[in-house]
Amino acid sequence: METLMSVIVGIIFAIGVYLVLSNSLLRIILGISVLAHGANLLIITMGGLKKGGVPILREEAAAYTDPLPQALILTAIVINFAITAFLLVLAYRAYQTTGVDDMDDLRGPDHV
Amino acid sequence: MLIITPFLYAILVPFFRKYLEKVHTGWFVLPVPVGIFACLVKRVLFPYPAPPLQSVPWIPSLGIHFSAYGDGLALLFGLLISGIGALVVVYSIFYLAKEREALGNFYVYLLMFMGAMLGVVFSDNVLVLYLFWEWTSIASFLLIAFWYERRASRYGAQKSLLITVLGGFAMLAGFLLLANITDTFSIRAMIVQRDTIFAHPSFGPAMVLILLGACTKSAQFPFHIWLPDAMEAPTPVSAYLHSATMVKAGIYLIARFTPIFGGSPAWFWVVSAVGLVTLFWGAWSAVRQVDLKAMLAFSTISQLGLITCLMGAGSPALYYGPGPTAAIYTTAILAGVFHLINHSIFKGCLFMTVGIIDYRTGTRDIRKLGGLMSLMPITFTIAVIGSFSMAGLPPFSGFFSKELFFTAMLNASELNLFNMETWGLLFPVVAWIASVFTFTYCMIFVFKAFLGKHKPQKLEKKAREAYWGLLFSPAILAALVMLFFFFPDQLVNYLIIPAVASILPGFIEAGPEIGPIVAWHGWTPELMMTLGVVAVGSGLFLLIRNRPGLYRRPPEVWSLNYHYDQLLERSEAGFYRLNRSYMTGSLHDYLLYIFLFLVLVLGAATIGLDAWAFDAAGNSPITIYEGILALVLLGSALVVLFARQRLIALIGLGVMGYVIVMFFVIFRAPDLALTQMVVETFTLVIFLLCFYFLPELKTRVESPPFRFRNEVLAGAVGLLGTI
Amino acid sequence: MYNLVVLPLLIPVLCGLLMGIFRKSIAFQKCLSLLSLLLTGAAAFYLVQQVSARGIQILELGGWQAPFGIVLVVDMLAALLLAAASLVSIACLLFAFKSIGPEREKYYFYPFLQFLIAGVNGCFLTGDLFNLYVCFEVMLVASYVLLSLGGSKPQLSEGIKYVVINVISSTLFLIAIGYLYGVLGTLNMAHLSLRIAAIGQTGLVSVIAILLLIVFSLKAALFLYFWLPGAYGALPPAIATIFAALLTKVGIYAIMRMFSLVFYHQPQITHDLLAVMAVLTMLIGGIGAVVHGDIRNIAAYNVVIGVGFVVFGWTVFTPAAVTGAIYYLIHDMLMKALLFMLVGTIIIIVGSSKLRDMSGMITHHPLLGWLFLISALALTGIPPLSGFVGKYLIIQEGLTRGAVHTGYYIGVAVGLLSTLMILYSLIKIFVRGFWGETTLSPDMEKGNTRGLILPCILLTAAGVFWGGGAELIYPYVEMAAASLLDPAIYIGAVLGEVI
Repeated sequence: METLMSVIVGIIFAIGVYLVLSNSLLRIILGISVLAHGANLLIITMGGLKKGGVPILREEAAAYTDPLPQALILTAIVINFAITAFLLVLAYRAYQTTGVDDMDDLRGPDHV
Repeated sequence: MLIITPFLYAILVPFFRKYLEKVHTGWFVLPVPVGIFACLVKRVLFPYPAPPLQSVPWIPSLGIHFSAYGDGLALLFGLLISGIGALVVVYSIFYLAKEREALGNFYVYLLMFMGAMLGVVFSDNVLVLYLFWEWTSIASFLLIAFWYERRASRYGAQKSLLITVLGGFAMLAGFLLLANITDTFSIRAMIVQRDTIFAHPSFGPAMVLILLGACTKSAQFPFHIWLPDAMEAPTPVSAYLHSATMVKAGIYLIARFTPIFGGSPAWFWVVSAVGLVTLFWGAWSAVRQVDLKAMLAFSTISQLGLITCLMGAGSPALYYGPGPTAAIYTTAILAGVFHLINHSIFKGCLFMTVGIIDYRTGTRDIRKLGGLMSLMPITFTIAVIGSFSMAGLPPFSGFFSKELFFTAMLNASELNLFNMETWGLLFPVVAWIASVFTFTYCMIFVFKAFLGKHKPQKLEKKAREAYWGLLFSPAILAALVMLFFFFPDQLVNYLIIPAVASILPGFIEAGPEIGPIVAWHGWTPELMMTLGVVAVGSGLFLLIRNRPGLYRRPPEVWSLNYHYDQLLERSEAGFYRLNRSYMTGSLHDYLLYIFLFLVLVLGAATIGLDAWAFDAAGNSPITIYEGILALVLLGSALVVLFARQRLIALIGLGVMGYVIVMFFVIFRAPDLALTQMVVETFTLVIFLLCFYFLPELKTRVESPPFRFRNEVLAGAVGLLGTI
Repeated sequence: MYNLVVLPLLIPVLCGLLMGIFRKSIAFQKCLSLLSLLLTGAAAFYLVQQVSARGIQILELGGWQAPFGIVLVVDMLAALLLAAASLVSIACLLFAFKSIGPEREKYYFYPFLQFLIAGVNGCFLTGDLFNLYVCFEVMLVASYVLLSLGGSKPQLSEGIKYVVINVISSTLFLIAIGYLYGVLGTLNMAHLSLRIAAIGQTGLVSVIAILLLIVFSLKAALFLYFWLPGAYGALPPAIATIFAALLTKVGIYAIMRMFSLVFYHQPQITHDLLAVMAVLTMLIGGIGAVVHGDIRNIAAYNVVIGVGFVVFGWTVFTPAAVTGAIYYLIHDMLMKALLFMLVGTIIIIVGSSKLRDMSGMITHHPLLGWLFLISALALTGIPPLSGFVGKYLIIQEGLTRGAVHTGYYIGVAVGLLSTLMILYSLIKIFVRGFWGETTLSPDMEKGNTRGLILPCILLTAAGVFWGGGAELIYPYVEMAAASLLDPAIYIGAVLGEVI
């Protein structure tokens, strides 16, 4: 399972990077989301899969999965959400102000 | 602590300027150099048993102390700095009008410079020496651009700062190399460890770096180019900084480090050869100038080369060690120090004279000047004394040092050391030719400006004699020139011998008595050479006096100045293009660089370090559900990748998110699953909202290489991620 | 266990939240910001004293013991950086009072400034890698918001690049954390160090180390600096100042911390790579600084050079060189802030950032001119100003190392060359902007400098003290370097008896 997950994560990264390298701002944002998903999957894979019960203190479970990666991912998910939202708004503002969505046209004053 | 005084006083200057506007600020400044001068004279006349070392800690943890050490060399320089400083202040009081100029600034800079210069010569700690060294550069920068509205002033100031600070950095590196070898910052402690330094592999680099500092400061070839441009400074500044004191700092440095490096062939060759080339080049350029001040600037360069050359020629003394053999080389050092004093005095005097001419006639162009002798008789007298001394004629003090210089050159040519057998003859020959040029430009200076026909129509102002205040300082200096000719022994005993003693420690006591310097030695080769100089020089002067063609500039390509400008311009333009070529402002390019770097470095590291960690043993089994989920995940990711329409891409992303929720469930992370679900939903909503405003995805055709590049890179990143 | 440690993190967060509640009252926000920063500064200085007297201080949040719970650690390096950061942010706040404009004030400028500072302080304080990530994110999110406040066209277009690149680097950070956890099973820095010491720094760990190195290099603008010049050039002066002074320094701090505490076993790989990157950074930064005719770009590239120089000094990795690097790092914080403020003031006066539009300003703004000259000289490392001690230590140690490893000679040469480029680029501003014909009469100026000079003077004074009073400061910096070079001190303080 870990091997499979690693391969999947690798492919997701590849897709994410490809999207990020494109010129359309929207694709870049999509790519960032894809990368973030990949990272989350990676962490949970790295934490070890299915080694025990749900990490809630109960009587019957003998072993738990490691709770720490889950805590990490939780934080990461929230942060990613905030950033994605922010980026979208920023893209919207940029589009409103500059009228373009293509990064090549957003080169800045020195490079026209 | 005399060094601190000028700095402290400099703080007060603006207040004088503000509250006592009636009186010229210069009068308040004057007591500082005069006081320092008096103190130093007292020290010279009544020497302490041993030169005291005064020390104030600055950063003792690092061994950096403000330690002052007043030996003969330092005292000599101190006297020059404060003495000429005092005269320059007097001169400037009359030269700079108190109504128009920002006198407060002027005197602050001047005092700052004076303090820094004293600091350079008295410091024993190399880092503190470096500190003061840089401040002389900065003070000089500010003074050159005193009239900062002028373009040429700014250009000159910037140039001098860049070149001298470059040298300063090199010098710092050299100092630190020495400090690494000897484990001390004190110059005197370094001298003690001379043998260790000689044996160390860093000897060569340290020497070259320190010499770089000295040569930039002392305007030695090929770093001399800043000095002529520095002449945009007000004349008192040129007289003080760029002839008498600051440019001597490099000489000081060479003299100070002679006990450490001297006696090695490299030091001998580099120092004397650089000096000789500078001497020749400066003298030759000086003849071709039409601006009096520029002529003096090149003459300064040439004279500095002369002194440097003497310092180099005297260094073999350390090879032989104290004893009779070394005596002739000791003479060279003696000549160098003697000429140093002479040059400060007569060059200061000449600069002030040029200042007077400029002030009174409004020009410094020798093509416009002429016949001033009858109009400005006192100025004329002073100029004659100064320039004849420079030309090395009796009865002026320059005669002695010129004779000694010839002696030293002749000695050097007979040196059977350091491969001198082959090249030795060049020394006196080049020296002689340079002296001819020196003589010629001295004649041009006197005759073109003061004799000949007066051309009032070419002058902006009506020429007349200057008032006494302007004449006072040059007159004193001219009087000194005469005085030193008739009473050289006092000068030698009180100033030069102690200075030589600190350049060549232990030699004065051991060596034979240095005989009294007399004007008449009999028909020696030196005298013959002088006579030859006079004869050929006069001939040359007569030859070129009516040939304006001489002043036609040679093609620009020949001048080093041109190359300096080109270097700055070209490198700026080249760097600009270079910078533009990679700082494209395109996010895509930047990301490309980043991922490329990531892939290259990580890939190399992974392969190089053999970091494959592949262990399928501990894997948990794959169930059918998980397999299906994984496939769905991949499928949706591919949808995101290939979607032409943004909505489809978004759906793909959404599916991805929810599949990951399922994975979280499988992997025993229910709280994560919940969070992810909520967040995913929100993200989708926001995306949708934005779609309302953002444009449709453009189906833009990207060039195949572009895509290929991206694909390769993406694939590589993916591969790395997998590993 | 020492509760004071949390203050530099807590005060700004609380104040920021409080300001969010009282959004209408700008005056209240101003007072509270100042109060909060003053308190933070006081706490930071007190921490410096405490650490020097009693060694490293830690706080285990929630009472969980170190490798399991969240732990805040303050050693001398962190304490000094906290102190410098609060000094800079106070000056920057004063500058912002007069220059930021009501438009941005209304849109939560002050609260986000507080969050930014909280994030920065958190990075300095945290004792585990994941919290470093979180604090980075707090800092960055605040910086994203500050960056896009106001929303002029260049600001948005540069802002997007900045955000995208930083988000990607954060993702990489997360990935690196994931790998590291997978391999070593812990994220507490002290614990990581122990584990690596126990199993040896294997190839895989080195690869992860390099990944982290790339992440931090992106944040610190070390070699991978592409986002910096454009973004800093587009910002309003007050925000550019705080960015230039703090953000890249956090990246440098992270490099210093991770590669001395955790990944110190394979210096021939990681540290040499860092040294090469640092040398290239100095060179590229120098080139950028020399070519630009826009004073904001010149200042921005100067940040890049500074980063390169600090990291180069650090990679020499002898006690004296690390001391020098820390010394230079803090100097760089103070002086870069000053430089950006001065540049900002010039732009406010002239209404343009192009060198060709300015001339002869010294007639009407002598104080500004002299402050600028002082800052230029300090950045060049002219003694006795602040840059000197650090520079000389780095060069001396670089030369010592050069005897063993010739590459360091090149580093020293490039270092000196880049310093010359700093001088050239800044003197160019001084010569062209302040000297020359006075073209701008006071009534033609676009803005006034009232209140802007005060923070500049404050920082100049700090800078001069940092150089001239080196004897007083040196023991602290030396202690910071000592604790940085001896991981055992740090580990012992954090894990205590658990080992």
